[in-house]
Amino acid sequence: MDGSGKSTQAKLLYHWLRAKGLPVFHTEWNSSKIVKEATKIGKNSRRLLPITFHMIHAADFADRWAQQIEPVLEIGGIVICDRYKYTAMARDGSRDVPRDIIEATYSFAREPDLTLYFDVPVDTSFDRIAKGRPKLKFYEAGMDMGWTTDPFESYRIFQGKVSEIYAGLVEDGRIVRLDAQGTVAEVQTRVRETFDEHIDLSSTQVIDQSDRLAQNLSESDIDWLTYSGGEDQ
Amino acid sequence: MSHAGKLIVIEGPDHVGRTLHARLLSARLKANGIATHTIGLARSDLMGGLVKSRTADIHQLNWRTRSLLYATDLHDQIKHEAEPLLGAGFVVIADRYTLTPRIREQVRGGDGEWIDSLYTNTPDPDAMIVLHAGPRRLLNRIMFGERLEALNHFEAGMDLALSTSITSSFLQYQKILRQKFQEAGKKAGATLIPTRQTVEEVHDRIWESVRPVVEHMLQPIGGN
Repeated sequence: MDGSGKSTQAKLLYHWLRAKGLPVFHTEWNSSKIVKEATKIGKNSRRLLPITFHMIHAADFADRWAQQIEPVLEIGGIVICDRYKYTAMARDGSRDVPRDIIEATYSFAREPDLTLYFDVPVDTSFDRIAKGRPKLKFYEAGMDMGWTTDPFESYRIFQGKVSEIYAGLVEDGRIVRLDAQGTVAEVQTRVRETFDEHIDLSSTQVIDQSDRLAQNLSESDIDWLTYSGGEDQ
Repeated sequence: MSHAGKLIVIEGPDHVGRTLHARLLSARLKANGIATHTIGLARSDLMGGLVKSRTADIHQLNWRTRSLLYATDLHDQIKHEAEPLLGAGFVVIADRYTLTPRIREQVRGGDGEWIDSLYTNTPDPDAMIVLHAGPRRLLNRIMFGERLEALNHFEAGMDLALSTSITSSFLQYQKILRQKFQEAGKKAGATLIPTRQTVEEVHDRIWESVRPVVEHMLQPIGGN
């Protein structure tokens, strides 16, 4: 759900696995440049319809799949995807794109080993995303569907539909529901427990320590060669 | 999907004469009192400008992403132009439809069935014409035309590494494309027309296969 804290949790999970020395990669649903431009044209002119919205998002995902996800999987890495094809099922499905069309379009993206669905009540999602904002964007609120003329009400209807579709996916056993209410640390504990329950890492190779150290050094602001651990000070 | 209008699809490789014949067909239909509209690849208000201005970038993308961008472009035209106009009794001419985007990716290892799945729920053509010409003829049209045109890297299939020579690559690539277009055209029940004859002769053959579909719509102008 929007506003469920899933991006924060995905990053924490990434850092946890990375600290264990595992070959892990984190990817978000960031649009590639060309798709971003097309989406902007479509949104500004309000030209995007459910089917073109569906196709253009899929184009974006296909690019991310080919460039980031598939190569990492091919060499036995762990990929943490902040949003996957189920987001399309929930959002495009809420816009009445038939499920079989969505499934066919995304058929190249395999079922993940674990999909966590960060569940918060629609009201919580609404409060975190919409409350206090002077207005919601046209498509973000689902105004293109013409459910109502009030953007805030429309957003609530939209999130209600999204939530319903996710619930169906949980029932089908395709995604695992995770209670996303509570503090960041509480939720992260649940994330790690669920991860351990579902994922067997016995055959995953740990990254060579010298490479990891070199990477840490190259990313660090501290001059490690002269650093004495603060003992002299 | 039933509609009052008709959808006429013209497919075939670049420089085969598709656009010219789409224009001639449209003019003839209009002269006979039929309202027409032409759609085609990279012509949507949503994607057209972008696809044309960023061709090189698009060719760098993987085949799935590229297929989805072209599908977005066509769906935009179908929803905003073709479907409403077909409903209103227009003849919509598609200067390339779903065949070109599929064949172009199939020869690059793309999954044809998956690409076809992107076009479920699109209107079926009422008539389909595949224009074809020999690779050497196409090459001559490009290189010995009115103005000298540079051979396009992608159109010459250079990314397939068929040959280090762009002309030799073009000839080999267009031979593969021609075969694929003919196979797919036959399978889809299209009329295959070679464009080695004069423009009038080719146009007459196109008219022959379109006429039965639009017969009932023609408003005779005398001497038709």
